[in-house]
Order: sequence, then C-alpha cells, then structure tokens
Amino acid sequence: MGDNGPLGGIRVLDFCWIGAGALVTKALAELGADVIRVESRTRPDNLRVTPPFRPGTEGGLEASGYFASRNPGKRSFALNMRHPDARAIALGLATRCDIVTSNFRPGVMERWGMSYEEVQAVNKAIIYLVMPMQGSDGPHAGFIGFGSTIAALSGIVHLSGLPGRVPVGTGTHYPDHVPNPGHALVALLAAIFHRSRTGEGQVVELSQLESTVNVIGSAVIAESAGVPVERDGDRMASVFPRRAFATADGAWLVIVCRSDEQRKALASALEIDTLADGDEAADVAGAVARLGAEDLLRTLRAAGVPAERVNSSGDILTDPRLVERGFWYDIDHPVIGTMPMFRIPFRWDGSRASSPGRPPLLGEHTWEVASSLLDMDRAEFDRLTGEGVLG
Amino acid sequence: MPEPGGALAGVRVLDLADAYGAYASRLLGDLGAEVVRIDGLAGPDPIWPAPTREGTDLDALFVNAGKAILHADSVPEADLEALVRASDVVIEAAGGLDGIGFDRDRVAALNPDLVRVTISPFGGSEPEDGPVDDLLVLAAGGLMHLGGYRDLGPIGAWGGQSAMAASIFGAVAALVGLISGRSAFDVSAQESVAQALEDSVAEFALVGTVRDRQGESPREAGTGTFRCADGYVSMVAGRLGTARAWSALVAWLTEADAPGAEVLGDEQWSDFHHRKTPAAIDTFTRVFESFAANRSKESMYRDAQARGIALSPVNDVAAILADRQLAERRFFVEVADENLGRVVFPGPPYSLSASPLRPPAPAQPAGGATVAAFIRSGGGDG
Repeated sequence: MGDNGPLGGIRVLDFCWIGAGALVTKALAELGADVIRVESRTRPDNLRVTPPFRPGTEGGLEASGYFASRNPGKRSFALNMRHPDARAIALGLATRCDIVTSNFRPGVMERWGMSYEEVQAVNKAIIYLVMPMQGSDGPHAGFIGFGSTIAALSGIVHLSGLPGRVPVGTGTHYPDHVPNPGHALVALLAAIFHRSRTGEGQVVELSQLESTVNVIGSAVIAESAGVPVERDGDRMASVFPRRAFATADGAWLVIVCRSDEQRKALASALEIDTLADGDEAADVAGAVARLGAEDLLRTLRAAGVPAERVNSSGDILTDPRLVERGFWYDIDHPVIGTMPMFRIPFRWDGSRASSPGRPPLLGEHTWEVASSLLDMDRAEFDRLTGEGVLG
Repeated sequence: MPEPGGALAGVRVLDLADAYGAYASRLLGDLGAEVVRIDGLAGPDPIWPAPTREGTDLDALFVNAGKAILHADSVPEADLEALVRASDVVIEAAGGLDGIGFDRDRVAALNPDLVRVTISPFGGSEPEDGPVDDLLVLAAGGLMHLGGYRDLGPIGAWGGQSAMAASIFGAVAALVGLISGRSAFDVSAQESVAQALEDSVAEFALVGTVRDRQGESPREAGTGTFRCADGYVSMVAGRLGTARAWSALVAWLTEADAPGAEVLGDEQWSDFHHRKTPAAIDTFTRVFESFAANRSKESMYRDAQARGIALSPVNDVAAILADRQLAERRFFVEVADENLGRVVFPGPPYSLSASPLRPPAPAQPAGGATVAAFIRSGGGDG
C-alpha cells in the first residue's frame, strides 16, 4: 500500500474472497492502491484454512500459503457483516474509498445493505465491481460454482486434452487466475480512467462464465461457421514434433519444429534419422529418454531447435528469465516465515514496483484503519470489539 | 472532454502487435478506443492450431474485431509518422516500433506522452529469432506441467492461452499507463501464464512437494470430472465446496437410492482428509458414476444446483451456444463477415453501467482516410 505505485492514491474497500476476486485486488495493491480487505473471524475466508501449510504451523487462520499467495500488500479490517452495527462502519469506509469490490453470489452485498445504490448514496462516484459466476441476472444467476465448474461450463475444459479421453482441462483453475481477474482489472481500470475524465462512478460487472468464453472466442466463431473444434492434444498441421517428451532425469521438454531445417537439426542433435510426419514421436521420445534435460536443452537451443523445459512448481522459481526480471520476491511472515510471491506479469519504465508488504494477519489493520479513516477513538473501538462488531 | 460512447472514447491505439498482443488492443477497442492495426509486420505463422474456415484464421478474426487494418507495405512513411505522433497508446511486439523505423529517440521526440506497451513471449524489447509457439510458453510458464494425463505426460491448454493471457495483461498495462502517465510497459507471456499456478509454488516452497498433473482422476471424493449418460460433469463438493455441499450431495444420492450410496453417510466421510484418500475417491467415483450413468448433463446440472451443489456440465462449444443463461442475457452477437457470412462472436467479458461497450464488428481494411480520421479523433490535441 502507499503512494509509490502508478495507482497510488486509489483506495479499495475489498469484500473479495477465495479465488478470482482476491487476485484482482492483489494486482491493485501491487500497483500501489490501498486495499482494505474486509474479513471476519465469524466466517473467515476459506483460503485462510486451506493448505499448503509449512509443517508445524498448521491450525489457526494465519498459516495458509494459499491465502498468502493472493493477498500480499493488502490491509485487513475485521468486521462481522452479520452484526447489525457493521453496515454503518462499512458505509463509513466506503465514503473514504474509490472502489468497492466483491465476488459473492448475487444478493449477499444487498443482504448486508451494501448494494450499489446504498453505497452510491454515501459516495456518488464510487466504482463498484461485482464478479458473479454467471452474471447478476438471468435464470442461472443464483447457480453456484467454482473455478473448475465454470471452466467446465465455458468449454475450455472440453477443448483441452486428447480425443477419446476424459477432457482433462487446463491443469489448474486457469479461468480463476488469468481470464477472470485479468478481464475484471481491464474493466475496473477503464472505469477509473472514465472517472478521472468525468467524475462519474459506475457498476462494473464481470460474469465469470462470459469472461471465460471470450478466451475461446475463436472456437465459438468456428462452431457458428460450421467448422466445430474438438480437442486434439497439442497437434498442429505441419508442425511436428509439437509435444512434451520425458527426459532421462524425470523432466519434460517441449520440442516444436516448424521447418524441415529445424527437424534436420533435431535429428542431428539426437543422432536419429531425419523425421517424417506421423512417425517422429517414437524416435524422438526414445532418444530424449536417454538424455538429461539440462544438457539436451542447451544442445537443442544451440542447434536452433525451439525447446523449453516444462517447468514444474519447483523449476519455475529458478527459471533464469523470471529471476532476471524480478518476477519473484520473498515476503517474511510471522507465522509462515519466508515465502516466495509472484508479481503481475509486467514491468514499467524498466523496473518493478517496490515489493508489496506481506499478506495481513486477520484484523491486523482494524485499529489503524478505524482510527485514521473513521476517526474512531479507543473507547469506541473497544466497545465495538467487545460487542463482536469488529473482529 | 471525452466523447460519449465508451470509457476510452477519444483514446487512439496503434496496434503493432503479433499474436501475443493482438487481443490487448481488441479489448481497448471494445472500451471505445480507436484502434488502427498495421498488419504484415510479423510473419504470418500461427503460434497455435487456430481454427480456420476457407483460409480465414478465426483467431485473427476474433482478436482483430472492430479494428481498422492497414497493411505494412502500403502505409506511406508520412502516415506512419502521423500515426505514431497521434497515438495515445502503442501495443507492439518486441521490436515493433523499431521495425518500422521509429527508434526510442524518434518516438520520444514525436510523442513524449505515448503509452508504449510491448508484449512478447518472454518479456523485454528484443525480438525473438522466429515465431515462439504457444506450447513453449505454456511449458516455460509452468501451467503445462499441471495439465495432461498421468500416463501420457503434459498437454497444453487449448486456444493460444499464453497469448490470451499476455494480451489481457497488456490491456491492463495500457490502462495503468493512461491513468498514471507511466510510459513504457513490458509484458511477458511467460509471466502471464505463471499467474495460473494456483497454490503449487507455495506448496513447493512451504512443504517441498512438486505438484504433478492431476490427470482425469478426481482430486477428492465429490470434487472432479465424472462421466454421465451423455458426457461429463464437473463438481466441487469437497473442502472448498463447504461441508453443507457434501451433505447435500450425499442426500441427493441417498434419496435417489443410488447403489452403494449408504456407505457415504458414515461418519468418516464427513472429514475431507478421508475424502482425499485414493480408496475414498475410488469408492465415491464408482457410486457417483453408476448414479450418473443414466442421467444427462443437463438434468444433473439442474438437479444439483437446486440442491446447492456446485455441479456444471462439461460443455462442448455447441452446448455453450445453446446455453439458456447466455441466451437470456443476450451474450452472443451475430456478426456479418464479408467472407464467412453470419457468424457468432462472444459478447464482451464484462459490462460497465455508465460506459457502453462496443459490440464486436468485423475488422475493416483501412487507407489514408482512416489515418486522417484517427488523427482527428483524439479531441484536437493530437
């Protein structure tokens, strides 16, 4: 938080939890916005009790590496929205913020008296982001889902994998991590830009389903144009090989050849016969399986054959390009200890933003925020804490 | 003052991107920006198996919707200079502006306030030797390691997702530039893909475990992809699905007299540690798939949702086009394409209540008049 980044001076009242929403406000915090995360001990974010935990730190609400990974640089304000006195405090904070974010099912913010209209009544120019699974209206507006079920609904799961096998999808809940928070950021930033020119706030709605369908947009067009797409592994006409091969040391390398020249170079590097379409796999697989990943990668690159290690969750921390570009940074957390965090995927003016602070402990900033933004005194704070409003 | 018609009305975007960045300027155009794209700068090589019809690349059709397209060979030098001078944002591949004769100094002299967003496979401003295949970036970004089958090895996500990811964050960068006045952004597709690794890096750092691909086997009893009468359904009724969803699932199976369901009512099944054991996953999958064997995706979707269980069909694209929710919300947009006739585009990924989005429309070939209009469109300060 602070005024150092490009979004310095922008303040966010953040009701997002779990997945896609928390990544939106993670990016805002990294860009310098002051993100005040509203959470409660009564119903904490599920991620706070979700593994991974460093062995010996389990239990409690502060040990989750999962929660940590998407909440650096935010402040935590503990407020029990189910308490009747919570609304006035939340609205008080909203008057001091530029943006209110949430990713609940339609109806939850309304139940708390925090609908757009109610927030707008106290802060006319507020930008109000909602991220319902399937949009805020329509027959399935109330349907529940998670990253994986929305991915399935959107078609990207069906398209990813091999014909004749179970559609295996994208590995992680990719829509939760890239298309949905990414598209939401685009819309939110456009709304900030609009407000800077007109003074006008608005509602930004991201239907997670509709957002995800956009990243397979050409498949939708193809279907409507009578050339339906089906999953076909990683096959691509006239590009071969184009797949991952296992190495002798248990790693995988992707090798992609687009020209006979590259195929000749590959064959020569592997000391096998020149490749023909269709039967390349066995020869290449056999040869790659006898070699170590690092040496082979170096040989292939020197020979002009496009190849990459299939980076595992361990490899990726030492990928030289990511390290050189400062993609990772360490946080130091009182319960978790030292842990690597990832940044948003761009630099500006040749550098990164200063590292966001560590993820907050639950309610760590309640007093700080209440005293500075709500002018609350200690007696009032203690009373509200005692009554279970704060906390 | 901005003109009516979108959050980015009056913003001029020059698109010198390759496949990694083309969707970024599409997003800016949907928000109201004027986008002129110069085609023919990078080679025509696709970086992933994009669908085509009669020689039309449907991926290009999607990502270039709404843009005015100039061809590199036919733009006079004076027009190029005017475009660079008039632009608020340039979206480029590495070496994009340099490649058409505009080095850093010349750009700074012509247009010091230009927001310059460079989108490339691995970041930086130096172009690669040739086209970088999407699959290489999915591998380097770590997502591919988690995808695919346990017996066969990693498989990439469909649809050039490294480029979609890089473009989305490219649009984010452009907007950050417009808001903050920061001028030079450098987006890495590899880093964009690496946003999607879930908690696997944290798991490695805290526990030392390298996560392997999940394959088709469920993560937990109640959570995974399951076969039904006409395809597959995806369900989350495990830990993140809350305890209530698990009870609702057991009630559903029990009330339907699903063979073997009675065992799921035993006390140990309410503990997710038990539900994560291979034996529990096997037992659950057997019970659930025999229950699902004579039920359709659609009927299971309806029945599960009525019981508060997060279950969705694994839709093919035809099913998405027929989805009732998307139809009610008028999500899909019919577009008349010169070569293909009427085709369907997805509508925008979001809505802004005070800043209408431009619906998708075909890209238009452009000429000198387009350049002149582009220069005029910024409200007179270009």
